[in-house]
Amino acid sequence: MERSDPGVTTPTTISEGLPGADDRDDVARARAGDARAFERLYRRHAARVHGLARRMMGPGPADEATQDVFVRAWEKLATFRGEAAFGTWLYRLAINLMLSRRAWLGGQRRRLDDREETLAAQTARPAMTDLGMDFEGAIGRLPEGARQVFVLHDVEGYKHGEIADMLRVTSGTSKAQLHRARMLLRRHLEA
Amino acid sequence: MTHEWTDRLSEYLDGELEARERARVEAHLAGCAECARTLAELKAVVARASRLPEYPPEADLWPGIERRLAPRRRLLDLRALLSGGPRVSVPIPQLLAAGLAVMLLTAGAVWLALERRTTLRVVPGPQPAPVAGLAAPDTIAPEAAGAVAADFGFSRYDAAIADLERTLSQHRGQLDPATVRVVELNLRLIDRAISQARRALESDPANPYLNNHLADQMRLKVDVLRQVTALIHA
Repeated sequence: MERSDPGVTTPTTISEGLPGADDRDDVARARAGDARAFERLYRRHAARVHGLARRMMGPGPADEATQDVFVRAWEKLATFRGEAAFGTWLYRLAINLMLSRRAWLGGQRRRLDDREETLAAQTARPAMTDLGMDFEGAIGRLPEGARQVFVLHDVEGYKHGEIADMLRVTSGTSKAQLHRARMLLRRHLEA
Repeated sequence: MTHEWTDRLSEYLDGELEARERARVEAHLAGCAECARTLAELKAVVARASRLPEYPPEADLWPGIERRLAPRRRLLDLRALLSGGPRVSVPIPQLLAAGLAVMLLTAGAVWLALERRTTLRVVPGPQPAPVAGLAAPDTIAPEAAGAVAADFGFSRYDAAIADLERTLSQHRGQLDPATVRVVELNLRLIDRAISQARRALESDPANPYLNNHLADQMRLKVDVLRQVTALIHA
């Protein structure tokens, strides 16, 4: 784990394997107004940002959210100091944007208990033969808070302390939501 | 296994239990097949999550993104001018266009915010990034449920702007007069945008659109002033 720009924490699982050197060059060009360089950054990171959007917000708003993230990144690029990998900065920006969007939609305020029964009822057995797709679908049907913590922790690699900061909850709440999500999802791994 | 230990299996799995608790869980797991099975399932979930593929959009989203980048590109021209970058000879009309873009964006943001005001009851409080060093990875903060902050941190921007303006005032004679004119023109336009946002916030202080927009304009002003003062000290 590395900590670089204030407020930006880098899960090792995210920062590793990114084309950092290429990013640095294109970030410098994009900061000077080179839209083609920014397009290259988009091409390299769109899949991951879109995956994050899809898992955090659902398939419906994922495209729009992805576009918003990159537009926002363009607007904020002057504030990126290059101490962290561009991808790290971008994903954190994306998460903040998506959490903010969810809050706008009221999802953040919706407590989780009202949806758990629905998921439990739907997931007694995998409905699809493709367990991978069913697993993705099950993530999407998790209660709001449990899904956010699960995606941030088990998919994106953030720690509970970081997640607690992002979601404005305690680390204990983050741990409890993660366990809740895992307990619900384990049913989708059954044969 | 008791519920106490069942609920802590994820912490055990993630290595977050203290040594004594960990030993107690392991002792229990050795004699409880049901809990051992649950733990195995949780491990499988974690492993599955770590293997989830990336999810590229089905359609190319770039054209839609590119269309929305144009105003920003114009504003960057001012920064390039001030930083002595490759666009040193930016024509005045283009800089005026940048300022106009600021005004239009402000007008749009104010209108949008006021339009939404009647439908949005709970709003997130934006948190402007720290001013020092312009360390601003992002300003959009997740909502603290139900919380409406009284101070969004704009005072830090005000203080930074005051310092930078003082420096600029003291050393403006060191700058090329044409540069000073262009900078002052753009600062006036940014100030106008800030004033509009502040006025709108007086009647709707917790509006996230307005607060984000105000934070953006103040950061833009700090950015411009910092680059101008950097020229002075160069």
